[in-house]
Amino acid sequence: MSGRAREGGAAARDDVLLRARGLVVGFGRTPILPAVDFTVRRGELWGVVGRNGAGKTTLFRTLLGLHGIVEGAVDRPAGVTIGYVPQRHVLDPLVPARTADLIAEGAERGRSFLVPWLGAEAKARVARAIAATRTEPLLDKRYRDLSEGEKQRVLLARALAGAPDLLVLDEPTSAMDVVAEREAIDALTRLREELDLGVLLVSHHLGLVSQVADKLLFLDADDGVALAGPADEVLGDPLFARRYGAVLADGEASRWPSSRPPAVGAARPTEPEAGA
Amino acid sequence: MTPDAPAPTLRQFLDAWELFHDPVVAALVAGGVLGWLGVYIVLRRVVFVSAALSQAAGLGVALAFYLQSAVGATGLAGDPLACATALTLATMLFVSRAEDGRFVSRESVLGAAYLVGSAGALLVGTKIRKEAHDIGDILFGAAVLVTPEDLRTLEIVAAVVFVLQVGLEKGFRFASFDPDGARIRGLPVRLLDAALFTSIAVAVSVATRVLGALPVFAFTVLPAMAAVLMATSVRSALVIAGALGAFAGGAGYVLAFLRSWPVGASQAAVGVALVLGAAALRATFGAVRRAAGAPRA
Repeated sequence: MSGRAREGGAAARDDVLLRARGLVVGFGRTPILPAVDFTVRRGELWGVVGRNGAGKTTLFRTLLGLHGIVEGAVDRPAGVTIGYVPQRHVLDPLVPARTADLIAEGAERGRSFLVPWLGAEAKARVARAIAATRTEPLLDKRYRDLSEGEKQRVLLARALAGAPDLLVLDEPTSAMDVVAEREAIDALTRLREELDLGVLLVSHHLGLVSQVADKLLFLDADDGVALAGPADEVLGDPLFARRYGAVLADGEASRWPSSRPPAVGAARPTEPEAGA
Repeated sequence: MTPDAPAPTLRQFLDAWELFHDPVVAALVAGGVLGWLGVYIVLRRVVFVSAALSQAAGLGVALAFYLQSAVGATGLAGDPLACATALTLATMLFVSRAEDGRFVSRESVLGAAYLVGSAGALLVGTKIRKEAHDIGDILFGAAVLVTPEDLRTLEIVAAVVFVLQVGLEKGFRFASFDPDGARIRGLPVRLLDAALFTSIAVAVSVATRVLGALPVFAFTVLPAMAAVLMATSVRSALVIAGALGAFAGGAGYVLAFLRSWPVGASQAAVGVALVLGAAALRATFGAVRRAAGAPRA
């Protein structure tokens, strides 16, 4: 298995939001990916990419403390708060919920669930999250009646209501049409700049992530590959190129015009894969 | 009731109120608390957990009677409530850990637990001559006689469960419907889940001992179904389901008297009527909204 970490630029230590040190993820004591080192800092957008079954979900659940670590460590400085945006289907449509209530839930943290009402400071955070995500027109609607794009904005507002330092999004644009996908990513990049958030974006949509991420984590459990580093370096890595070079060259990324030209030249497979 | 006998009247029921006071209050209390808890059971899609629990409680009561008559057991081993609670908690622990495996699904495990409870209660019941009718009451819910001690126990359990439910409502809600998000936000999800399912297990076992398995299962499913059809939030669903559960318990008892029906079946019938009424209300409301141009709810 191949694991590499290349981190560019030294940032102030205070800006560190999450650090993985020799992190091995897997099930029980069985690793599914090699050890990986990386640090997420304030203002950075990390994309976690890989095919279905690549280990993305296991990695991000491990980073969030929802899944046991096989080896290594995840450090999170005291006081760093995480806003989690789950996949939209995680919220059961059978559960009756008004959008306003769902967003307000995001302001709850720790022992605040023992208090039946929201405090003034929490209410102010909720109001800011609603304004930032432009979800005012949706507040009186039921969550299950919303479109996929609207649901995504509501879940984003819910995560922002907790005033997070680090935002973690799990496949935020799955099952969205191209327009909704574009709007969701535009909103995310705008909020990242406005609120100076660290962002960890998990997606199997390489074309999308490669255009907006500063740093990439490329995972492939089949080949035992975990690459972490600046997006251009990961996109140009031969290990990455073997898996994704042809995909990028064939235009998946062209759906996302960007100022950064994708490193498709360097990412073309150097040797044909069996059956490719 | 013979075919020629006049049907009982509400007046007769009210005249004999002293006789019916305890069972009606027991039905109101059990219906209310189980209706509230039922929202979690229905929305977490663990309906057959409550079925398995009520049968386990029935088996516990039957075992207690058997131990009393066969070996002269006294103390906790011969106490129906203690045995029902112990078996219900053990079943709760077992079924709550059941997951879909490679060879056996979670549903199958729940089905097996249900069958062990129901068949076990019937088998043990055949070994007890003296209390055979009590076993029938437990399984099918005659609930005609409720002793003051039973009612007192039920009231205490309901009060404790209600205080816990109101106090930790937000925690139970978050832990139930978005457990990952709740964990990330620092909520003790496992502790909250344990408290919720222990509440359910204890309430089901005590109510089963007092009213019978059939009405208990009905109270944990039907009022919550009706409430979810009408409510706009989990919080309002909890309140509506509690109220509907109490109504099903009380109205079902009165209906059983008036129609000479078995009490448990009558309470379940009222519950079904509530679900149908809620579905009709929802359909009507939806049609009016659509006619007014609002999106489909």
